[in-house]
Amino acid sequence: MKNRLEFSNITKAFPGIVALSEVSFCADSGHITALLGENGAGKSTLLKILSGDIKADSGEVLLDGEAQNFKVPSDALRGGISVIYQERQMVASLSVMENIFAGELPHNKFGVINYKKLRKEAQELIDLFELPLDARMTVGRLSVAQQQMVEIMRAYRRNSDVIAFDEPTASLADTEITILFRLIKELARQGKIVIYVSHRMAEIFQITDKIIVLKDGKKVADFQTGETDEPTLVKAMVGREIGDTFNKLSRCTERGDTVLEVKNLTTKKVTDISLTLRSGEIVGLAGLVGAGRTELARAIFGADKVESGEIVIEGRSTRYKNPSGALACGVALCPEDRKEEGLVLSRSIRQNITVSVLSRIRKFIFLDNAKEKKLSDIAVEKYDIKTPSTGKLVGELSGGNQQKVILGRATNELMATKVLILDEPTKGIDVGSKAEIYQIICDFAKSGMGVIVISSELPEVLNISDTIYVMANGKITGVLSREEASEEHVLELAMAGQ
Amino acid sequence: MMTFLKSKNAILLFFLIALIVIFAALSGGGTLRPSNIINILQSITIVSLLTIGAGTLMIAGEIDLSLGGIGTMSSFVAALLLKQGVPWFAALVAAVAVGAFIGLINGFLVNELGFQSFIATLATASITTGAGYIFTSGLAVTIEDPTFRFIGNKLLFGYIPFSVLIAIIALIVYAMLLNKTKFGRSVYLVGGNRVAARLGGLKPKKVLYGLFINAGALAALAGTLLASKLLVANTVGITSSQFAGLTAAILGGISFGGGTGGMGGAIIGIMVLSCFNNGMTMVNIPPYWQTVASGALLLAAITLDFVTTSRRNKSEVKA
Ligand SMILES: Nc1ncnc2c1ncn2[C@@H]1O[C@H](COP(=O)(O)OP(=O)(O)OP(=O)(O)O)[C@@H](O)[C@H]1O
Ligand SMILES: [Mg+2]
Repeated sequence: MKNRLEFSNITKAFPGIVALSEVSFCADSGHITALLGENGAGKSTLLKILSGDIKADSGEVLLDGEAQNFKVPSDALRGGISVIYQERQMVASLSVMENIFAGELPHNKFGVINYKKLRKEAQELIDLFELPLDARMTVGRLSVAQQQMVEIMRAYRRNSDVIAFDEPTASLADTEITILFRLIKELARQGKIVIYVSHRMAEIFQITDKIIVLKDGKKVADFQTGETDEPTLVKAMVGREIGDTFNKLSRCTERGDTVLEVKNLTTKKVTDISLTLRSGEIVGLAGLVGAGRTELARAIFGADKVESGEIVIEGRSTRYKNPSGALACGVALCPEDRKEEGLVLSRSIRQNITVSVLSRIRKFIFLDNAKEKKLSDIAVEKYDIKTPSTGKLVGELSGGNQQKVILGRATNELMATKVLILDEPTKGIDVGSKAEIYQIICDFAKSGMGVIVISSELPEVLNISDTIYVMANGKITGVLSREEASEEHVLELAMAGQ
Repeated sequence: MMTFLKSKNAILLFFLIALIVIFAALSGGGTLRPSNIINILQSITIVSLLTIGAGTLMIAGEIDLSLGGIGTMSSFVAALLLKQGVPWFAALVAAVAVGAFIGLINGFLVNELGFQSFIATLATASITTGAGYIFTSGLAVTIEDPTFRFIGNKLLFGYIPFSVLIAIIALIVYAMLLNKTKFGRSVYLVGGNRVAARLGGLKPKKVLYGLFINAGALAALAGTLLASKLLVANTVGITSSQFAGLTAAILGGISFGGGTGGMGGAIIGIMVLSCFNNGMTMVNIPPYWQTVASGALLLAAITLDFVTTSRRNKSEVKA
């Protein structure tokens, strides 16, 4: 068992950006150390250095005073270090148990895998995590949240001395988070060194012992969790105070005509959904993970097949069969899973921003580069995307900045959107930017759009939406106005179908 | 990344120059003689057409192994029609249409039936090659049409093969198509992330149909051009270039992963491959050893692709 992990003067630069500069701090056994900082502050980069995935330009990682020299991630694993990355790293075509035990499948001396043992051990782990999964299920068919839990189980099982979580809760729901926290605390109690990255301030206070704040790649402060409060942390992190995000929102008070009417919509995943959305209105979809919110969004956007029911836009019944048709009717979607469904990581920010408006940035038959650049500059400015240039590959951005790019794509100026659907728009986004994004969403409503917001952060849905539809088991179980809605009330409705 | 790509092209360019110098030295200047340069240019024509088809599909994340088969079959179609007295233009159009049709079938198998392109096109490759044999009972069909002779063999100003003009125009057109048009951009986006491209409002199936049909048509054109150069359509002709298009594309930095690479690199890839193959003949390397060496070159290209792709993926995957 190791007692102390130390980062000493870690520096790392990427082309055009210094991701980390002379960062030093310690994390002790039995404690949970939080890494806090804005999008692009360097948190994930630090964890990748810890895991041997990338090499620091200078500085050292020490375990119990001994400098570690990991060349590849497997060295770090053997050295007792597990890092759970921000983005999922699983083989979608393999089963849950194979993913959990990847690289260490139990086998006999001929190399034949002992599936019985594998299944038994995997199932024990799944039960420990209280998940409704079978070890033999294919990972690709699980929800994003379940996949994230599989990822966590894989690291948990390795029983490493150091275990680092990079925004593990970004795609989890409350029930899963509760279980996860219980297990993380248990890890600390066993004397492990735990590092925890999150943008959710409440979590930081709930489970961590010590907080390291990074800003622009430098360590700017450290705190004992018990001796500080949220405004102090936010100030250290963002460099200014943000105050009460929701109360100072300037909301849209005018309601126009109905822009979207969904009548008795049924697909494979949702049943008999009816919903109305007016111009200037923000409708929130609440519910537990798996309630069918994302599926409803996909159905409205033409991404999934509609079995029966009707979608009426501005009074006209529509029948599009694919997203391209939906976009043509003025429906836009910012999808939940930025890596799989949202972004083309191997292309530049610029090329991602304009995916849906290529026909509108043409001069004759050729794409107009100047126009494309201007559009992406606007998005970078609006969402405060941190990057040296819009030519940078999206895959090289930090997680939160990638999320801002997908928002930029879905809300591109040229889209003439009437119905904007945002599925987990603030996933992985830091507190400062979140406040700005809430205001941007209200501004979209003011400009006459109808907006649908899905979020697994209940306070978010409750506070920015004008009307809240609660879903359970693919059905709508209740409709509340913002004034009526309380967390208890919504949760009650969300459990209704169970 | 941009500078990195540029430097990858730079490495290739350097390699090309080295190849030219080495083979020139080994052959005592033989490779630089006008008659040989004409030879190289003619082979570039064929390889270019195949590379454009194979390369654009690879950028979109698919592969086409049937181009050699399509070329063979189409050249027989053209030759047989000419023998029947059909005018040259109609014969050429018919050959290209046959190629496009096989491309359509490839697209259908991949888009509608969900086959992997590797498997679908492996099947059409053997069907088309086989069909070529059956049409002709395995015999070569000679070409006597004067226009075909002209297209395949005419030297402009005594040095520049007419057919190479076709290749140059095609390369320029496709480079512009890829870099500057909506369709070209869609090819990259579909190759980079198909699901995201669809949710972004593009139509991946439409793009793939377009590319398979295009590759088939170009392969047919390549096969017919080769036959008109040799004045005979036979089963050996283009099958030997079967993998040339793929090799040149990979050499030129178009990766199997999809979403990256372009015509600029591909052009250098085509020249490297053509100079390499020609140089080996000129310095009298025995044919079997040439085959081995070509394989080694392909292996080197794939290794380079693998190393650079996995490096790229690594930086992409985790954020
Ligand atoms: N492979 C890479 N190539 C180029 N730049 C990179 C690469 N990886 C990270 N960066 C840059 O380094 C900086 C720090 O990124 P990092 O991912 O560590 O941020 P983060 O603190 O985890 O942010 P977030 O909260 O958004 O996840 C960013 O500006 C990012 O663009
Ligand atoms: Mg990060």
